[in-house]
Amino acid sequence: MSDSKYITLISYDGFEFVVLREAALVSETIGAMLRGPFREAQTGRCEFGEIRGPVLEKVVEYFHYHYANRNQTDVPDMDIPVDICLELLMAADFLGLDSKPQMRDIS
Amino acid sequence: MASRNRPRPIRRPLINKDAGGFDQCWATLQSAMTDIHNKNASKLSFENLYRASYKITLVKRGEELFEKVKEFETEWFHKHIIPGVDELVRNNLPSIALIQLATSSSHERREAGERLLRGIRKIWEDHNTSMNLIADMLMYLERSCVETKQASVYATTIGLFRDHILKYGLKDVDGSDQPFIIMDVVIAVVLDLINMDRDGDIVDRNLLRDITGMLEQLYETDEEKENEKLYTTIFEPRFLAASEVFYKAECEKLLRESDAGSWLRHTRRRLLEEEERCVTSVSNSTKDNIAAVLEKELILAKMDEFLAMEGSGLKAMVDNDREEDLGILYQLISRIDKSKNTLKTSLMGRVMELGLEIEQTLKNTDFSAPAAAGAAGEGEEGAEGADKPKALSPVAQQTAAAIKWVDDVLKLKGKFDSMLENCFSNDLIIQSAITKSFADFINMFDRGAEFVSLFIDDSLKRGLKGKSDEDAEVVLQKAIILVRYLSDRDLFERYYQKHLGRRLLHNKSEIHIEKELVRRMRAELGNHFTAKFEGMFKDMELSKDLSTNYKDHIRNLGDDDRKSTELAIHVLTTNFWPTDVMGRGVLQDGDASRSDCIFPPSIKRLQESFYKFYCQDRSGRVLTWVPSTGSADIKCFFPKVPGKESGPLSKDRRYELNVSTYGMIVLMLFNDLANDESLSFEEIQLKTNIPIPDLTKTLTSLSVPPKFRVLAKEPLTKSVKPTDKFSFNAQFVSKQIKIRVPVISSTSRVEGTEERKETERKNDQTRAHVVDAAIVRIMKQRKELSHTQLTTEVISQLSGRFKPEISLIKKRIEDLLAREYLERMEGDTAAYRYLA
Repeated sequence: MSDSKYITLISYDGFEFVVLREAALVSETIGAMLRGPFREAQTGRCEFGEIRGPVLEKVVEYFHYHYANRNQTDVPDMDIPVDICLELLMAADFLGLDSKPQMRDIS
Repeated sequence: MASRNRPRPIRRPLINKDAGGFDQCWATLQSAMTDIHNKNASKLSFENLYRASYKITLVKRGEELFEKVKEFETEWFHKHIIPGVDELVRNNLPSIALIQLATSSSHERREAGERLLRGIRKIWEDHNTSMNLIADMLMYLERSCVETKQASVYATTIGLFRDHILKYGLKDVDGSDQPFIIMDVVIAVVLDLINMDRDGDIVDRNLLRDITGMLEQLYETDEEKENEKLYTTIFEPRFLAASEVFYKAECEKLLRESDAGSWLRHTRRRLLEEEERCVTSVSNSTKDNIAAVLEKELILAKMDEFLAMEGSGLKAMVDNDREEDLGILYQLISRIDKSKNTLKTSLMGRVMELGLEIEQTLKNTDFSAPAAAGAAGEGEEGAEGADKPKALSPVAQQTAAAIKWVDDVLKLKGKFDSMLENCFSNDLIIQSAITKSFADFINMFDRGAEFVSLFIDDSLKRGLKGKSDEDAEVVLQKAIILVRYLSDRDLFERYYQKHLGRRLLHNKSEIHIEKELVRRMRAELGNHFTAKFEGMFKDMELSKDLSTNYKDHIRNLGDDDRKSTELAIHVLTTNFWPTDVMGRGVLQDGDASRSDCIFPPSIKRLQESFYKFYCQDRSGRVLTWVPSTGSADIKCFFPKVPGKESGPLSKDRRYELNVSTYGMIVLMLFNDLANDESLSFEEIQLKTNIPIPDLTKTLTSLSVPPKFRVLAKEPLTKSVKPTDKFSFNAQFVSKQIKIRVPVISSTSRVEGTEERKETERKNDQTRAHVVDAAIVRIMKQRKELSHTQLTTEVISQLSGRFKPEISLIKKRIEDLLAREYLERMEGDTAAYRYLA
């Protein structure tokens, strides 16, 4: 089981993003993925079969944005390109990013 | 790029059509679940499984999936788990059957029981892990469940364990028709193991904790209501019931085979053990309940029996100062009863018994042995006359008895004080109970007030000479403790006044200690109680100044007569001093005979001169001379005896005699007499007009003891009779120049029966006046009052001084009715009205 500080997120079209593990744990889905005995937890590589590279990139940007501002209240909005917003919304739902109240406060 | 500025069309999210389809997704999930159960999950991609359940949920077939999962798990239990459980239980079955039969050794039973529990724990843990993973896998479904308010996936799947394993009935065991429910078996084994643990066997407590923990994680229903944990609804009641049975039996065994001391220790140990058990074996939430069971079965149930035990019960603990036992007892009783009634009543009873015992011992002790009494009685010797020289007079014995009584009471008090501090953590309830019992038995003893005053008198007079301040402090504290208990304070005041008066006039004690004691009494009992004592101190101080001033006055007059007599006077205010000191005690004998004792002319002149001086700035005051309490220093000249050539008698001798005022008057008579003349008792009485009892004492002290035989008596017997003749003893010799002739009756002592009746009669008289005053005061304020209310008010007003008898109050009311201070109300004879 890999317990490195970083994990790798992989989009279905092959883009790989190395993310701070702690930042990625904002996603409930990724949390469950990494805590069990599953393959992702063993390898530290999470492949997402239905998320495109640009979308995953924005997700990763959000992870770090959230992580950097985790203890602050007054933070600037993140820039969301309109053309991927629907995909981004679905990815957020898939990743369980809306399930914790604290996230709603910030986003 | 130019295209940046133009909004791009929103892309439709990509949905992977080829992976869709319920059946395909379910097949993926199903095989994954099998792998999870078989612990093969590491090859699975979580994302894949999650996405499968995500898709099913998206197409609104989540509930269908949920049902499928339940079906799968149920089937899994039946196919793979239950046969194992069945076998496990059957193999270890002796343990179940034997809970009822209890034939095999506890060792076997324990082994089998632990094997069974371990098996169950293993199944539980595996199931729990699998269900956690499956719940993670179905997380997306779970989220939608939250929205629809369904029980969660985890709660449901974990509930399956309860429904299919714990509630599984094992059939055909031992030919019994009733199926064994697994949960019953498990709980019975747990309880059996706990009992073994209680009996001292070593059992696997972690195992027990895991099993009870399992019951804590499972609920009656899938809604998981907080108060419906299986632990709370099923295990805990059984656990408590089993504990009750266990401890009931244990307590009865202790009662049969053991004593109160080991009962206390055992109970304390059990309480600690059970508290610990709530951490090691069962849930912490049971702590209060199991403690309640212990308190009921081990403490409360048989407490009275244990406390009454001969040789180890409360009586023995108190008598033998078993402070540790009492301390535990206090802790235990505090647990079950905040007001500690049992302990309180028992202690109060014991204090009373011990207190009465002191009184009883006092009655049975023979104080004629002089050892205990010491010097207290010596002064009485002469007065009592006929007694054997060494044995103590009955009066002195009484004094010794008083001191012994006080000592015993203080010892008892000390014992209970240390008990209070060491065992009862200075509990206020206990403290006031003990104090009350002390007050009760001290006041039941009818001479308490007198004895306390005597004790103080004795301590201050003899005890403190040459002792440090700390010792004095101890005495003061003891005195105050005792005074605090007395309820007949007026009686005590009377005795104390009398004793204090004697001490002050004869200068027998340290004045600063006296003052300190009175100051403390004032703090305890209030101003009105000590007003008289303070008046006495003031008189003493004023008198000292007066004597000095008078001396100066005489010197200034220039009238420096060689033969003048120095005067040290105590001017006493009548109200402050006890009546017998003031010479008013003999009023009944006729007024005239008392004060008009005939003083020698020289003294008479002195008195007149002083009176003149005194009235210079205090005109109108009357001074009454009280010879019975004074003393005089006389210089005596004994000429050499003719015919003696050697020895002390051959020279002139000068002695300074310190005698009582009466003694001085008597001796002065002999100044005018020729050496060979004598005076008879009657003649002396006639010439001096000293009351006969006082004269008898005076003459006895001057003529009977060889050391002080200034007067020769004819015949030479040990007691003075009215027919005796007295003459100047020219042959008197003493080694000392200054001779102090003991002043008779200057020692305070216990009163004889007669005297005591007299004191009580006087006290009752005073009380009658005090009650009168109280009634009038109350009625003046209230105008109308019923009999009962009036009585209550009187008692509460006087509670600081004494407890008036109801009959006394009634009598005083009647008296006041007769004297028309009050009248009965019309139509209601039990109520009164105040008449102005």
